[in-house]
Amino acid sequence: MLRFALRRFAWSVPVVLIASFLLFWAVRATFDPVAKLRQGHDAGAVQREIERLGLDRSIPEQYVLWMKGFLTGDWGTSTRTGGSVSSLVGSALWPTLQLMFWGVLLAAFVALAIGVYTAVRQYSAGDYVLSGLAYVGISLPAFWFGLVLIQLVAVWPVQSLGWSEPPFYFVGLHSPGTSGFNLDYLRHLVLPLATLTVTLTASWSRFARTSMLDVLSSDYVRTARAKGVPPRAIVLRHALRNALAPFVTIVALDTGVLFGGLIVTEQIYSIPGMGRLFLQSLQAGDVFVLVPWMFVVAIAVVFFNLMADLSYALLDPKVKLR
Amino acid sequence: MPDFLLARRRGHTALIAVLLAAGVTACGSSGGGGGTVNGAGGGSSTTSSASGASGGTLVVGAEQEPDCADWIAVCAGNIWGSYTMQVTTLPTAFDTREQDGRWALVPSDVLAGEPQVEVRGDTQTITYRIAPEAVWSDGTPISSRDFEYTALQIRDGEGIFDKTGYDLIESVETPDEKTAVVKLRSTFGPWRSLFGGSYSILPEHLLRGRDRDKIMKDGYSFSGGPWKIEKWQKGTSVTLVPNDRYWGDKPKLDKVVFQFIPDTSAAFQALKSGQVQSLYPTPQVDAISQIKAGIPNTRVEVDAETGNLEALWMNNGRFPLDDEAVRKALAYAVDRKAITERLYGPLGVSEPAQSFISPLVGAFAGSDFDVYTPDPARVEELMTGAGWSRGGDGIWAKDGKKAEMTITSLAGNKRRELTEQILQQQLKEAGFTLKITNTTPAEIFSKLAPAGDFQLGLWTLIDQYPEPSLSASFSSTSIPTKANGNSGINFYRANIPGLDQELRTVDISVDQAQRRAASLRADALIAAAVPSLPIATVPNVLMTNDAIGGPISINPSEGPWWNLEEWTRGQ
Repeated sequence: MLRFALRRFAWSVPVVLIASFLLFWAVRATFDPVAKLRQGHDAGAVQREIERLGLDRSIPEQYVLWMKGFLTGDWGTSTRTGGSVSSLVGSALWPTLQLMFWGVLLAAFVALAIGVYTAVRQYSAGDYVLSGLAYVGISLPAFWFGLVLIQLVAVWPVQSLGWSEPPFYFVGLHSPGTSGFNLDYLRHLVLPLATLTVTLTASWSRFARTSMLDVLSSDYVRTARAKGVPPRAIVLRHALRNALAPFVTIVALDTGVLFGGLIVTEQIYSIPGMGRLFLQSLQAGDVFVLVPWMFVVAIAVVFFNLMADLSYALLDPKVKLR
Repeated sequence: MPDFLLARRRGHTALIAVLLAAGVTACGSSGGGGGTVNGAGGGSSTTSSASGASGGTLVVGAEQEPDCADWIAVCAGNIWGSYTMQVTTLPTAFDTREQDGRWALVPSDVLAGEPQVEVRGDTQTITYRIAPEAVWSDGTPISSRDFEYTALQIRDGEGIFDKTGYDLIESVETPDEKTAVVKLRSTFGPWRSLFGGSYSILPEHLLRGRDRDKIMKDGYSFSGGPWKIEKWQKGTSVTLVPNDRYWGDKPKLDKVVFQFIPDTSAAFQALKSGQVQSLYPTPQVDAISQIKAGIPNTRVEVDAETGNLEALWMNNGRFPLDDEAVRKALAYAVDRKAITERLYGPLGVSEPAQSFISPLVGAFAGSDFDVYTPDPARVEELMTGAGWSRGGDGIWAKDGKKAEMTITSLAGNKRRELTEQILQQQLKEAGFTLKITNTTPAEIFSKLAPAGDFQLGLWTLIDQYPEPSLSASFSSTSIPTKANGNSGINFYRANIPGLDQELRTVDISVDQAQRRAASLRADALIAAAVPSLPIATVPNVLMTNDAIGGPISINPSEGPWWNLEEWTRGQ
């Protein structure tokens, strides 16, 4: 297992390097790193900055310089804020990780429960209702659903019921001046989590259902039934573990994508995470943030791909680790 | 999505991802849904709300987060930094205030009176006398050394946002603690913008010999204004608390929190649900719709007399806009009043802009563009006179080339997209084809515009204080070239005979009457050549909960919270 993991990790390195070079090249070709300085009349300042940053060198040379800095913790300085890029990305990672952790945990648990239920009760009324809701969930645009949630759950109680404050908040993850895991945090977490998890839960529940149906129709399950194994034991002990492998794979793959894919949720709920950082940097043409941002997201995607492979092998004994 | 504008200063502009500058208010009509709209117009009015109690916390929804708080550094171009922290915490020599119906820079309470100005030949000397009671938040008097430190930091520093005016400083003398004498190598018309305008006075005793940028960029603890920064929680909020040592009127509120809410819809919902009590939204299509629909318990101030000028920018160096007749024909083909009414009509704003000088600098503006009203006959006359003829499809053509143009603006900006669609329709009727290719602001302002790789553009210029700055946009020396390191924002390649001289007079003369006359002549020259076409002044909108009291009004330069110390909060 360890050897397999190391080999897969080793294969990931060139993938990450190639991806990082392509990203570096694409961003450098698209944006002018000293655009902000060019708006002034100080041509000397532009030239000094070009020389200081090595922008007069070839793209491969610049890439090597940048990669050296990245690996040694010097991620450069943001042209937008003048601050350290590593601090910016680090600060943005934490809120995103919180959303991802709670979102993936909640969505995976609920999706699995729905998937198992709808597979076991195939073609029942519950299956039809939950399947229908899943299709609705999959097709809900996050920005629209988020705003509807805010209107229904936060604004309506205040405006129509006369409540002094909304039951759930939708600006940030804490009220100004508060921090930590407390009721205020939970009241801020509910709506972004609901927005994030509705689509995840809906799509993952379909995977879980399909996966469970496959397993439930297999020979060994039929044999277990014939031998009189109780239905609950068949589902929980024999079928679920095998059905988990593809489910966990898709969860892991989607989790990697979430690293950079929470732009809408973070924008609507004013959460200063990776998605918002990307949007701000893109609009400002801040190449010194965009490149490391993309690199970090690429690493996350590759890492979770690796996790998916490993978890598949762990959960399904039929998969040989070679 | 945030709106993007191009800020201009004399001789220098910086691209900033900002929302709108501020404006003044005038009373008007009622809005629906229980809210009240105070309508747009010239002049200012101040709305005093229901008497609020002292104390309490005010939470303001801020559309953008400042990039950094080192106000003289390149990173500080975001106008929201000025609104939230700079204006409220740092002293300036001059403030933007209304005088005789016009906005002007007037001596602030840091000064003991109007500075003494002396011109000898080409040189200029300005003597500032500092008010004896003016002190920093640690009790240290604001002194002439602060003026000297600030001036030299800007003049000699690296990574400075804009050195205009400061680069003319020959010396700053400090004959005594409360007198600063600034000598300029040559005269500088907008001298009142020194130690004011976009910049503030910095505390020498806390910064000299230390890394100013490091101390200030993430927020600073000192203050020379009514408020001081308690905390800047990056990505989330800025919190201000009263500066107990402020020598003027003390703030009535206990605390003000600017909470960053980049999504306009979410910001409006936050106002409706009471999570924030004040908003200053960009007048985008969706925001205007919501205002029109009415927001309960909310007062809306609208002002059209702002520093934000939206224009149709033409590349005078590219076919077919290199032909003055075509540019004029476009000016006669576009119904600017219809566009303005469509965009801002619900806010009570319907008059198009008639100058490239914004209303904030109205004292220097003419109205020469008012001759350009829709006139199909004039379009025909101009185009045929220049050798163009209509093809079978009704589109003008000359030498086998059609009058086809591409317009570039900011992708995702609904207001601009709507404007483009209206322009497309209006120009089609006049025989021009208009294609729309929008992209990111970074692409436009860092590549396409400086390289002249566009035909038509649609974006906003912003005047940040009441001093004219046409030279930045229309002087031939501001055309980006290799020789000047592609700096300057005359992206339009405008080169109008006689204009540079007039603009230079505006920039260097210290005689206000002479400057005004030159500015009016420059305005007329620009209108005659139509290097681009002003469309509308983008109005400012301030929304406050009814429980907020004060004199509440928008200052087009310093923002809507310029007098925050006078605001109160009731129940």
